[in-house]
Amino acid sequence: MTVWGHRISGQFRLGLLALVPILSVLVLLLLLPPDGNERAEWAQFIGRFHPLAVHFPIALILLVPILELAGLNYRFSYLRLSARFVLGLATLGATVAAILGWCLARSGGHSGSLVTQHMWGGISLAAVCWLCWILRARASERRLGLMYAAALATSIVLVSWTGYRGGQLSRGEDHLTEHMPARLRQALGLSNGGPASSLSAGADTFYGERVEPIFAARCVKCHGAEKHRANLRLDSYRSLMRGGKDGPVVRAGNVQGSDLFRRITLPPGHDDFMPKGGKRPLSADQVKLIELWIGAGASDTLPADAIKDAPAGSATVAAEVTFEQIDAAAVTKLRAGVAATVAQLQKRFPNILDYESRGSAHLLLNASILGPKFGDKDLAALAPLAEHITLADFSHTAITDGSAGAIAAMKRLRVLRLMHTRITDTTVLGLDNLDQLESLSVFGTPVTAAALPAIARLPKLAHCYAGQTAIPPGISVPEGLIGKLVF
Amino acid sequence: MSNSKIEPLDLRMALLQAQTRRHFLRTLGSGLGTLFVGTSMAKYDSVANDAGRREAASLDFTRDAASPLAALPPQFAAKVRRVIYLHMAGAPSQLELFEHKPELKRLDGQDCPASFLAGKRFAFISGVPKLLASQYPFHQVGQSGQWISDRLPFLEKQVDDLCFIKSMRTDQFNHAPAQLLVQTGNARLGYASFGSWVLYGLGTENQNLPGFIVLLSGGKSPDGGKQLWSSGFLPSVYQGVQCRSHGEPVLYLDNPPGVSRPLRRTMLDAIDQINQQTYAAFGNPETVTRIAQYEMAFRMQMDATDAMDIRKEPASVRAMYGSKPGEASFANNCLVARRLAERGVRFIQLYHWGWDSHGADAKEALNLGFTDRCREVDQPTAALLADLKERGMLEDTLVVWGGEFGRTPMRENRNGQEMKYVGRDHNPGAFTIWMAGGGVKPGMTHGQTDEMGYEIVKDPVEIRDLHATMLYLLGFDHHKLNYSFQGLEQKLTSVKPARVVAEILA
Repeated sequence: MTVWGHRISGQFRLGLLALVPILSVLVLLLLLPPDGNERAEWAQFIGRFHPLAVHFPIALILLVPILELAGLNYRFSYLRLSARFVLGLATLGATVAAILGWCLARSGGHSGSLVTQHMWGGISLAAVCWLCWILRARASERRLGLMYAAALATSIVLVSWTGYRGGQLSRGEDHLTEHMPARLRQALGLSNGGPASSLSAGADTFYGERVEPIFAARCVKCHGAEKHRANLRLDSYRSLMRGGKDGPVVRAGNVQGSDLFRRITLPPGHDDFMPKGGKRPLSADQVKLIELWIGAGASDTLPADAIKDAPAGSATVAAEVTFEQIDAAAVTKLRAGVAATVAQLQKRFPNILDYESRGSAHLLLNASILGPKFGDKDLAALAPLAEHITLADFSHTAITDGSAGAIAAMKRLRVLRLMHTRITDTTVLGLDNLDQLESLSVFGTPVTAAALPAIARLPKLAHCYAGQTAIPPGISVPEGLIGKLVF
Repeated sequence: MSNSKIEPLDLRMALLQAQTRRHFLRTLGSGLGTLFVGTSMAKYDSVANDAGRREAASLDFTRDAASPLAALPPQFAAKVRRVIYLHMAGAPSQLELFEHKPELKRLDGQDCPASFLAGKRFAFISGVPKLLASQYPFHQVGQSGQWISDRLPFLEKQVDDLCFIKSMRTDQFNHAPAQLLVQTGNARLGYASFGSWVLYGLGTENQNLPGFIVLLSGGKSPDGGKQLWSSGFLPSVYQGVQCRSHGEPVLYLDNPPGVSRPLRRTMLDAIDQINQQTYAAFGNPETVTRIAQYEMAFRMQMDATDAMDIRKEPASVRAMYGSKPGEASFANNCLVARRLAERGVRFIQLYHWGWDSHGADAKEALNLGFTDRCREVDQPTAALLADLKERGMLEDTLVVWGGEFGRTPMRENRNGQEMKYVGRDHNPGAFTIWMAGGGVKPGMTHGQTDEMGYEIVKDPVEIRDLHATMLYLLGFDHHKLNYSFQGLEQKLTSVKPARVVAEILA
């Protein structure tokens, strides 16, 4: 052997040695793939370090091209000397991360396309790193130099893609785009909602029409294409009938023997209850549909109208109520422009002028409580807040048409009550620019039919209460007011 | 108030000033130890309770001590700004009013199946009772096609404004505890009533009237008594004020002969001063309540009398309600309820007694007394809805109508014998209520019972779910409207999880 050959073989042996763990992970992946079952504590414990460990190889791999590129400049040429060492570390790190990743996937009950893709990305990355490391030794040769550059570029692509998949695994599918501004989203052609669920079964079968939509709406987030909890998928008839880690979940014709039915009908607090984690139980109709379908043989060819007394209720149900959270800092910011004026005017009008809610900067004004003690002058005092008032009740107050301008200035009004006041058509005709007004009460006022065309022009108006006015009930009203005038 | 301000802070300052070096040294050792334990335990506490705490975190309901009823904005924009609750005390039979059950009619007079009786407790039924068909014919009305019996000819004209819940359920089968559960969220005494919670959470815009007013009719108080409008553990200033339909609305509200209004004022000022001294000495918040109540009574002398005086209504409106001034009738109370609603009263609670149709005597018979009750409430209830709607007030008023439980599809057979009059026993397993007004879907029915109207087969609604739903309409997360008492964040819906019935929300 030549001296050169001897040197290479020495490095080669080290290289081969480094390949051993990579190949062994590959073997593990092929022989013992993650299958959605939970296993030994130790493996799971070690596996949990995977998310921690992956960041080292990621940083190291991304560092290499920086070192190489910066090294091109003679002032930083010393940096190139460390590139090979960093690559070696990166290979080691990627291999360790891959082993830990396997531990986590194999023992933690993970499976699904995301996991598989992430897994192959990770192991490929370890291999490409190793290749870079080997090629770097001879990178001074032109041919190998090109190959090295290509391998390095591949490793960058791989690390980005695998990292993104990993992020999706731990933070959710849309962790990057979740808070993307709507305009950017549009420009990139991304959809606005979550992943569209595609139904697989025939449209006119009982399963496809009545049963699968229930699974699609309530189950596939955890038991679907992306996540297969307990190795169970409910996104197709075949996978549903195949069952999960504990075997089949549906036994045709045997409702009580079907684990799926048992779990959705347990008391909601039970450990085995589905959907898990305090989610809303399936509705009685949904449970009934599944019961009837299993009882009738759990077939995917049964016609949609085969079961006579199936509940008509659709699979879509009213969304659960969510409670708005109040962010004190945001509210302060929102109210910054009005808070001082509101506080000052609240001293003059205690209890009848307040924010619409604890999270809002809109105001409600109920002057009706003051009755005749509230007049045009008082209303004029509220002028600085006019644009923030969304509900104003002047019923029984002493206001007159002198306030027409003050009311017309309340551009955000949704509800305006003028019941039993002395206002006339003059005020109503001035409401033209209240384009948010939904409800107007002129009950018991001298308003006449001459005001109707103006009322009809209010774009959002849903109801106008016109009892005990000069407007006769049963009058023919302008087209925009049909069905909206209440007597 | 013009008198000197009393702050709990002053008391604390006085206490601190009384501390000496000896106090300091004595508590130093244990103090340091406590500090250590406190900080190290706090960690565990926060780990264990973090999620629960965040959920339970209360909103800030502190107010100036002198105006405990000051209005506060709701947590989030509310659909409903006031509630009129028509409680039919004694539990009206859903099977004679809203639950149309042809199958029960077919099986009328037959022995009740054993499956209906197994494991069940009844107030009076014993042995094997007979099934009992509805005593009145049903027909479909309105755009919504709701089935309704012929006992409510006025209300049926408003049926498209009503949102029925036919799957209400309770776990109490005696009147008093069941009424307490409906009104306070708990079957035992000592809890705060719905109205008190609402008043605590929202205060009231009109400081010249109580924010929570109770009106009774039907000749008898509801079985749950005054506990039904108690403030429980909440400061007693939030309790309901029972008003009368004739004479002084509140007993002893008017000045006695020979006492003028200025004299009354002078007297109250003197009492105030004494109370302020008492508060300064003991710091008991109930003293502040007392001061506030005296002041409110003084303001009420003018406004309450006016608000309760239905003679001020035009004759046509009185005729619409069928009201006759001077009686303690449901009709008068409905009209008063509208007048109070107009004046900003937050929670108006009407009780009409006499729906306990066991059939033990003529008054309790489904074919006699029950019909009278229907006649008493039908026209005024319909008039109240129409009146509120006409004025645009139904948009942000919630009207609730219902009893405390339902009645059995079996005929009551006290002591195992057929009784002279027709009646039904208590059924906590299913009953019907309806709501109308702001935020609820009009002309709909939620939930369903079996073919006999005996048990719920679809979408059961617990009392706490109803409470959570009503609080939601009033702008609150039921977890957040809470009050620390006996080591628990007390709330109307109590400790079991409650669900807002999203299906009925408009």
